[in-house]
Amino acid sequence: MSASDLPRKEVTVLKGHEGAVLAARFNSDGNYCLSCGKDRTIRLWNPHRGIHIKTYKSHGREVRDVHCTPDNSKLVSCGGDRQVFYWDVSTGRVIRKFRGHDSEVNAVKFNEYSSVVVSAGYDQSLRAWDCRSHSTEPIQIVDTFSDSVMSVCLTKTEIIGGSVDGTVRTFDIRLGREIADDLGQPVNCISLSNDANCILASCLDSTLRLLDRSTGELLQEYKGHTCKSFKMDCCLTNTDAHVTGGSEDGFIYFWDLVDATVISSFRAHSSVVTSVSYHPKDNCMITASVDGTIRVWKT
Amino acid sequence: MDSDQEDFVFHGTPIEREEDHSSRKKKALAESSGNLRSLPAWKQEVRDEEGRRRLHGAFTGGFSAGYYNTVGSKEGWTPQSFTSSRKNRAEVKQQSLVNFLDEDEKAELEGRSLAASSKFDTFGFTAAEFARKQAEKENRSRPSAIPGPVPDEIILPAAESIGIQLLKKMGWRHGHSIKDSHSSSLYEARREARRAFLSFTSDEAKPMLSTSMPAENNFEDVLDKSAEDDDKSPKITPVYMLKPKQDLHGLGYDPYKHAPEFRESKRLRTAGGRAHGQRARDNLFGLNSGNIAPGFGIGALEELDVEDEDVYGSGYDFEETLIEEAEEPAKLSIELHNNRPRLTDKEHGILAGFQLASNSDYQLERFEPPRIPKEYEPIHKFSGPLEIGSRLSDPPPLEVAPPEDSNLKVLIEGVATLVARCGKIFEDLSREKNQSNPLYSFLNGGKFYDYYSRKLWEERQKRNQTRPLLDRDDSSVSKMTAETRGRILGERPLERSSVAPISFDTHAGVKFHTNLVDTFTKPIVFNELLKVSKPFKDDPAKQERFEQFLKEKYQGGLRSTDSGGTSYMSESVRARERLDFEAAAEAIEKAQLAKSSTLNKHSMEFSVGAMQFTSGGIEDAKSVQVDELPGKILPKREEFQWRPSPILCKRFDLIDPYMGKPAPAPRIRSKLDSHFFIPDSFKASGTEEKVASRGDALPMTQSQMSENTNLVEKEPEVQMEIENVERPVDLYKAIFSDDSEDEGETSAVNKVENPEKKVEAANATLNRLMAGDFLESLGKELGLEVPPDLPPSLDKARDPLHKEVPHVNDIGNSTVSEFTKEDKSLEARELVQNLSIDGKKYASNDSLHKRSDDPSFGSVPQNDGKMRSLYDQSDSSPSEDERSRKVSKRHQYSSYSDSDSSEQRHHSSSKRRKSHSSREREKPSSRRKHSKHRKHRDKDSPERSRHRSKRERDESKRDKRR
Repeated sequence: MSASDLPRKEVTVLKGHEGAVLAARFNSDGNYCLSCGKDRTIRLWNPHRGIHIKTYKSHGREVRDVHCTPDNSKLVSCGGDRQVFYWDVSTGRVIRKFRGHDSEVNAVKFNEYSSVVVSAGYDQSLRAWDCRSHSTEPIQIVDTFSDSVMSVCLTKTEIIGGSVDGTVRTFDIRLGREIADDLGQPVNCISLSNDANCILASCLDSTLRLLDRSTGELLQEYKGHTCKSFKMDCCLTNTDAHVTGGSEDGFIYFWDLVDATVISSFRAHSSVVTSVSYHPKDNCMITASVDGTIRVWKT
Repeated sequence: MDSDQEDFVFHGTPIEREEDHSSRKKKALAESSGNLRSLPAWKQEVRDEEGRRRLHGAFTGGFSAGYYNTVGSKEGWTPQSFTSSRKNRAEVKQQSLVNFLDEDEKAELEGRSLAASSKFDTFGFTAAEFARKQAEKENRSRPSAIPGPVPDEIILPAAESIGIQLLKKMGWRHGHSIKDSHSSSLYEARREARRAFLSFTSDEAKPMLSTSMPAENNFEDVLDKSAEDDDKSPKITPVYMLKPKQDLHGLGYDPYKHAPEFRESKRLRTAGGRAHGQRARDNLFGLNSGNIAPGFGIGALEELDVEDEDVYGSGYDFEETLIEEAEEPAKLSIELHNNRPRLTDKEHGILAGFQLASNSDYQLERFEPPRIPKEYEPIHKFSGPLEIGSRLSDPPPLEVAPPEDSNLKVLIEGVATLVARCGKIFEDLSREKNQSNPLYSFLNGGKFYDYYSRKLWEERQKRNQTRPLLDRDDSSVSKMTAETRGRILGERPLERSSVAPISFDTHAGVKFHTNLVDTFTKPIVFNELLKVSKPFKDDPAKQERFEQFLKEKYQGGLRSTDSGGTSYMSESVRARERLDFEAAAEAIEKAQLAKSSTLNKHSMEFSVGAMQFTSGGIEDAKSVQVDELPGKILPKREEFQWRPSPILCKRFDLIDPYMGKPAPAPRIRSKLDSHFFIPDSFKASGTEEKVASRGDALPMTQSQMSENTNLVEKEPEVQMEIENVERPVDLYKAIFSDDSEDEGETSAVNKVENPEKKVEAANATLNRLMAGDFLESLGKELGLEVPPDLPPSLDKARDPLHKEVPHVNDIGNSTVSEFTKEDKSLEARELVQNLSIDGKKYASNDSLHKRSDDPSFGSVPQNDGKMRSLYDQSDSSPSEDERSRKVSKRHQYSSYSDSDSSEQRHHSSSKRRKSHSSREREKPSSRRKHSKHRKHRDKDSPERSRHRSKRERDESKRDKRR
């Protein structure tokens, strides 16, 4: 994919959130997207047609992260009210509320089978919640982090968490092993490459770092943007050819994966770009910003 | 008129007046005829001919049953039930007179039938008929035991002919022979019994009704015969017996129903059998001889009598019938082929009606075994000589100096290697090919033949060595020669020391396996490793596996899948062990390198250092540094053991790696650690220090690195000393030290270097004890006193387990108290014991402690070097400590109040402040919390409350971790 294929053309602006949008996520097939923000709502959009579909209101504080099951039937969200909400997408009702985090919950993800929700909290812990039973107690608590856990990723067998303590910890359920990769810088966001062999970690020293998961080797560092105090997402494009991420000045950056050169950067938002999410198949990207808009980008 | 009357002369008896006599009758008649009809139904009475009313029974209608005894139903007659004429086409019913007759009419009619009077009823037909009717009548008149009409077949009234009646009157009885009987009643009884028995065996028991005639015949016979023969009297009047059931068929089942021809054959057979029996009976003693009781002999003067017959033994006939039943087909064949003798056993299986063929078509074919060629030998002979055997047994050729021409030397060596690899054929081939080439003259016994043969031998040895090394390691040792050992040990022959290593690339462009082996093999290293260090000495099996691992690691080449008995181990265990091994090997290798440069004394330390790995399972974390690029410090990778919960595994559809294994036992040390607080300064400075040291370490050469690791390995000792110095007290001992001294528990621990400091620290910790309250109260409860002072030597006795307890000066007093409270349960017994032993010494010295509280409170700062070293120690120590420290560090946030450490905290949390904008806002609030805590502290009993909350939190934390 050449640089010209990068989604740099703004197609739609999704407006509706009042206040900052903290996360915007494509669903698994990329037809819809979810956003959540400081207005305590989660919104479901069709980003391609620019339609707002549904609003989910139940959180008492800002919603920091949202994730959708592969079959689009359930949602999970978390936020400042220390709870993890498990939603039914169609009815818009909360099926379950998982309480247990001692403070704000930063990130949340479903596992492959949508049976477990793993949440990462400011209380330095990762907690796994069982969606199948009616228990609202966590089935696993990982508290080896020494600072707030900002982001979590799941593979089929592993739970990966990135923390402000500078570590990216991989918990391999199959092997019963924890691998801690100390990056030395507070990790803001982690995201898996599409082949799941690498982790892209956004650090607060305005650097994205690409780690090889098998060896823990630092493969590349991507610099140029500003990321010093905000939780900002980063991700790889659907072909794993580029790395993209927002900046605190409202820019979006594209780096070449291999040689780490900034291929493209342009002003997307008027304020901090909090979240980027890349379409799983197409050259399409959504970005969310503190300015309260979600923008859809295509080539 | 009267005179007239008197004049009458009465003759005869006067005719009785009929009125009186039959008044009732008349009345009945009159009623029935006319006037009764006019009466209403309920006044009508039914009377019989005699004019009597018939009572049917109080409950069955009384006098008016059956509509006043007229009909069976209201309508008068029982209506015929409807029957569809579809199935039963109007059948013409044969009606006879009888159908329309009443009972009495029938009775009248009966009288008219013609029958022989009983007088002339010679054969009893009439009598039988009469009797039957009589019985019927009786049956009808009186209630019988069997409800309903009794079947005629069952009840057969005995009808006796006049002859029998006559005989009976003469004293004859049924079953008796007609003769003048002189025999006793016993005799008669026995005979009867026997006869009954016999009649069982006979097929034809006559049905009763049809027996009159034969009976008569028999009588005649009997009468004839009785005169001539007394004793032989089986011809008797047959007792009327029904046919006994002798077969095993179901009741009423006739096996010959559809095959009457077989009935015939059966009849024939049984008849034959009986004929046989009767034949035996015919001669005088024949019958008896067959039936003599087995137990009773006959006296010489006695005659064989009927009495001697075996009454109880199964009769001959009986036996035979049994046999007949069993062996029906065989019997049948006997019947069919009477002329033939008994069939042999072999022919038993023939079906009835089939004959055995005289000659069969089936013949067993037999084949000849294959012929073994004459020149065949059962032992395989190899075309070439057996190489392996010869190789080891051949005396090695002498060492020969290599040729000066390096090309030639390379060539010779190459050829030797090839030959060693491919066998003698290659030698022959190349010899043939290069016959004219002078370079190859060594093959034909030329100038350098000696050298060639030597090389060849060496190569063969080498091949022999390298190949089987994987599977036989120790066995080959015994066969080692000096040369092989030397090679394995990396000792090179003196002559060859200057020679460059063999390179095959120059020769023929062929890469050999041996070449590969050479490149991957580090014989020096691994052999020496084996020699020098046995890190798993205490576990021989593990040590063996470790050696195997080393071999494989350094040997290269193919790896056997099942390496040395690890097959029984689970995958995870193997993986963990492998990690252990790798770490151990690395350590050993480094140590080895270091050893070569430094002194020998280090060798001691590997074993010490290596011993760390022995506990593998417990020590759950090893920092294995992977791929540190030069110049790049981070990321640093660490591995820990992590135990996912079973349900998590289930939800992820994975197999629990720790399935079936008990939860790791909480280690006391870690538990201890978790209750001690390390100040942030420690941590922070430690990280920096660590980073710095890493930065320093990286550019180092290999040897330096190894040295460094050695140093690290050496550090424990040093640090232990340091710790012993620094660490003021082990808490238990601090509190209960004199007891331990009293008990003589003093273990070999280093002497305290500065006792005063220790005492001070101990006092300080004690002062901070929340447990002071607890102790006091406990002491009060027990009625004991707490000793006012503590002897300075109390820290001597120290449990070696608690070696890594961090600096006590930095421990918040609340922690200590918490700790004591926490472990109260654990140590309760000890404590109580101690108290009971020397409790008096614990005078309530609370005030004293409190007095010394203040100075010790501020005595936090330590010199940096010590802290660093401590930190390093913790770094190299298993991660759980570290983790627990982190946890404890976490605790500090809420409780720690020292200005010094708070500053440190700010430093450490500066990162976090940066992390999120939203958190910025929350920071003040958290700080507010801290300040609140501080305020609390100033209050009256702040420590207790805080302590409690923290304990709860701690507990919850531990629970979660579990």
